[in-house]
Amino acid sequence: MSGKSKAFTKEEELLLQDFSRNVSTKSSALFYGNAFIVSAIPIWLFWRIHLIDIYANLISFVLVTLASTYALALAYKNTKFVLKHKIAVKREDAVTKEMSRKLAEDKKMSKKEKDERILWKKNEVADYEATTFSIFYNNALFLALVIVSSFYILKTFTPAVNYIFSVGATSALLALLSTGSQ
Amino acid sequence: MKWHIIFAAFAAFLLMTYAEEEEAARLLVSKQLLNKYLVENMDIVIKYTVYNVGNAAALEVEITDNSFHPDHFTHVSGELNARIDRVPPYTNVSHIVVVRPRKFGYFNFTSAEVLYRHKEDAGSLQFAASSEPGEAIIVSFRDYDKQFSSHVIDWAAFAVMTLPSLAIPFALWYSSKSKYEKLLKPTRKH
Repeated sequence: MSGKSKAFTKEEELLLQDFSRNVSTKSSALFYGNAFIVSAIPIWLFWRIHLIDIYANLISFVLVTLASTYALALAYKNTKFVLKHKIAVKREDAVTKEMSRKLAEDKKMSKKEKDERILWKKNEVADYEATTFSIFYNNALFLALVIVSSFYILKTFTPAVNYIFSVGATSALLALLSTGSQ
Repeated sequence: MKWHIIFAAFAAFLLMTYAEEEEAARLLVSKQLLNKYLVENMDIVIKYTVYNVGNAAALEVEITDNSFHPDHFTHVSGELNARIDRVPPYTNVSHIVVVRPRKFGYFNFTSAEVLYRHKEDAGSLQFAASSEPGEAIIVSFRDYDKQFSSHVIDWAAFAVMTLPSLAIPFALWYSSKSKYEKLLKPTRKH
């Protein structure tokens, strides 16, 4: 048992590197871009349906959208981090199977290298699935909460107040929830 | 009172004989707003109906409506200065104009002017004024929209905007998930 765990230490170190909370620039850009689009979409609802005065509330639109973008990107990042571990465990067998089948033809490759490749692939799959699911989950939750809060909870407020509180509070809540569940 | 009745009867008799004697066109013009609600920046349909109650055709009938000032109204379709060559006796002709109010608030809709030749050989043109729709309120678009719009198009546009941000990540995640779950299934069977 102890021998087995020792053999895994190196891999685990590699895993630790891959599974760190820091995200690459590419996925960070993806998160911020996505968060910005989703944060800006409620403006349409407020403009067309709540009939908010676009020009008078331009500053609050900019500020709330920026704050919401930051909070949503944070939520994506945290949710992805939590999910990645779970998905990595779930997909372990399937990825190993897929990679073994692929690498079986290559007789020259050492077992160590094969293991490394499997590990790398596992990390990649987990990263991909966690990223996409995190974006989907947070977007869906954000839009649903914004609609519920702006049309039901904050219905009686003026559109300007309604906008600031529904979008601001929803994004803040998502960011908070994502940090709480780690 | 008695004298009044006698005088009126005499006047009517005179008028009838006069009308019988003279062959001429007589136009009655009505101006109607066909909308139930008058809304800022939305079409108002105005119908002018010319009735010829005379026993001759009215010629060169020209309907001119100067009551829609360009500062207050945008002209959408129909002529505000329409010309009808001939209105036969005991018939009517209608004309439609569509305008859009630029501002909301009360507006007094006044009469249109009609000029026509009541006889073929008449030297001067006959002038007539249409009925007046009177004062009406033009509702602001915001109020109208708030009250009546179902915002179907707005919600549809919202759905189109949100769809990519939900569908794309979900589709990517789902395709990867199903791919690896499918891979795993046969191994469990063995």
